[in-house]
Amino acid sequence: MDDSSTSLSDDGSRRSRRRRLLTFADGALLWGARSSGVLVLLMLASLVVVLAAAAWPSFRAFGPGFLTSSEWRPNELERPMRNEAGQLVIEDGETVMEVVPPEFGALPVVYGTLVSSVLALVFAVPLSLGAAVFLVRVAPKWRIAGPLSFLVEFLAAIPSLAYGVWGLFVLAPLLQDRVEPLLRSVLGPVPGLGWLFRETVEVGGQVVTRDIPLTGRDMLCGSLILAIMIVPIITAISRDVLKAVPRVQIEGSIAMGATWWQSTWSMLRYSRSGLAGAIMLGLARAAGETMAVTMVIGNNNRISPSPFAPAQTMASLLANEFAEASSTLHRSALLQVALILLVMSLFINILARWLVGGSQAHAAAAH
Amino acid sequence: MNETPSKPAMSPVKVEAIDPLDSAVLDMPRQAPRFNVLSAIQNDQPHAPAIHPSVAHGKGIVEIKDFSLYYGPKKTVHSVSLSIPVGHVTALIGPSGCGKSTLLRSVNRLNDLVDGVRTTGDILVGGESVYAPGTDVIDLRRRVGMVFQKSNPFPMSIFDNVVYGLRIHGERRRSVLEEVCERSLRGAALWDEVKDRLQSSAMGLSGGQQQRLCIARAIAVEPQVLLMDEPCSALDPIATLKIEELILEISQKYTVLIVTHNMGQASRVSDYTAFMYLGRLVEYGPTSHIFQTPTLPETEQYITGKFG
Repeated sequence: MDDSSTSLSDDGSRRSRRRRLLTFADGALLWGARSSGVLVLLMLASLVVVLAAAAWPSFRAFGPGFLTSSEWRPNELERPMRNEAGQLVIEDGETVMEVVPPEFGALPVVYGTLVSSVLALVFAVPLSLGAAVFLVRVAPKWRIAGPLSFLVEFLAAIPSLAYGVWGLFVLAPLLQDRVEPLLRSVLGPVPGLGWLFRETVEVGGQVVTRDIPLTGRDMLCGSLILAIMIVPIITAISRDVLKAVPRVQIEGSIAMGATWWQSTWSMLRYSRSGLAGAIMLGLARAAGETMAVTMVIGNNNRISPSPFAPAQTMASLLANEFAEASSTLHRSALLQVALILLVMSLFINILARWLVGGSQAHAAAAH
Repeated sequence: MNETPSKPAMSPVKVEAIDPLDSAVLDMPRQAPRFNVLSAIQNDQPHAPAIHPSVAHGKGIVEIKDFSLYYGPKKTVHSVSLSIPVGHVTALIGPSGCGKSTLLRSVNRLNDLVDGVRTTGDILVGGESVYAPGTDVIDLRRRVGMVFQKSNPFPMSIFDNVVYGLRIHGERRRSVLEEVCERSLRGAALWDEVKDRLQSSAMGLSGGQQQRLCIARAIAVEPQVLLMDEPCSALDPIATLKIEELILEISQKYTVLIVTHNMGQASRVSDYTAFMYLGRLVEYGPTSHIFQTPTLPETEQYITGKFG
């Protein structure tokens, strides 16, 4: 009787010690997890705050006009003064010079980012959807879905510098020597398409129209490189979205007498919001891509309607100028561009997650 | 496909010939009745199915002729011959894994989608071969409608669902589509419930309504035969009752071939019943005959729930 009660109380105290230890471990882990979660959020918040603070001088100087001005001139400019009639002001037989302060406007790079990303989507989306349909509907029959999927995902892991080097030494010369001259000789004479190959510039106060020099390092090349870089991500996500289409949906349309193409179309239709999400994630990647684009897009801060003219994106502008930015205002303007890029990417990503998540909920409801 | 019966309660002739994975076989009661046909089937010996004279004429709208199907090396349908009479409901019954769904999906060649499927023998639908080389499978599937175990409306409006078949076969005239939509929805006893929301999504309908929508979609193209693969297995009793009434109703106009697990459903909705076991046909005849005075004791034992 006595023995058993002692051993019971012994047992009890051992148990309570063990429980205290476990309670402590539980609490510690819980707090660890909580603070990690908060820390990640704090990192994002501090990123935004620091960028916003750094961009403040530029915002104060240019206001909302920053987004609509296409002048990007980091240095002071000394030029002959002109009067209201546009004539040179001459005093004592000498032209009077004026000094124009640096000016920053983000319109050309916002334009460059949007156009290069959208062009990249135009090239990449049909290819990616085609590859995804192939992976889901054709490759399993040939028993090559596994290795092919692996290769597609491997493409996403290649460093962007490798794409950039390939673009610079292979793609750009190819465009310059073969593709673009061919396009010019074919499309150039077509009425209404002249703007593709000609540009109007002001040279020494004179407005002239001239052929765009085809360098191969232009908006087209940048977009193609971007397209190649976003094909893997769009393909991989589209493949997963298409795989999630319930079998009974595909069989349903086939049992109605749908052809291969018609049942594939039903599949794409069933997963359309997930596919839109995949495309959005591709767009987000294209908008933020830096290294490869910087190497091949030509880096010219000018808005040109022609894809054969060199251009500049927000990311390539930062890559080009940030290391050499000397004045506070220049640095601040660059950081404001970075802030715009961050907000834009955040927005596209949220939209994409929402679309992909929505499609999964939709598929789950159909099950 | 599981070739093993889920609850084998019949005494085998040779224990070692039975699937050794099925340990339940060894625990079987000694006093269980002996089934000659079933043991023959289990031992892969030839057997003669009992075919009622009324369905032995060989002039059905669907003629299954010595049809066998293999998934890779595994034979899941063994030389089945069945003649499905036109204008009636024929039920395929049998324990899980007896090949009844596989046989049903062979009629519109839906098994083509599965890798490694091989068939021998043939099936005729309306006198035309299903498996002959050069068969137009798309046209075949237009003539053979199908309703699945789980309702599968497409993520589009009710109207677009019903006219899907017509659209993919090239019908564009709005008036025709509208007319067919109304007729099919009336035919599927769904018109009164959805006529005011034809343009809203079909995904918002209840499970029973979705299944009736799928029936409307199938009959919109006026198929010669309507295949139903356990159409009520995912529905509650009330929705099931409605579908059963609907099957009786559409059997006035269509030939229906239905797979069901539910013995009561087979006896309520069908005119003819075929009992299958381990991929073979065991007995086939008018439903009243099968359920009241079956030729084989095996059939009676299954019908009355002694095994299966």
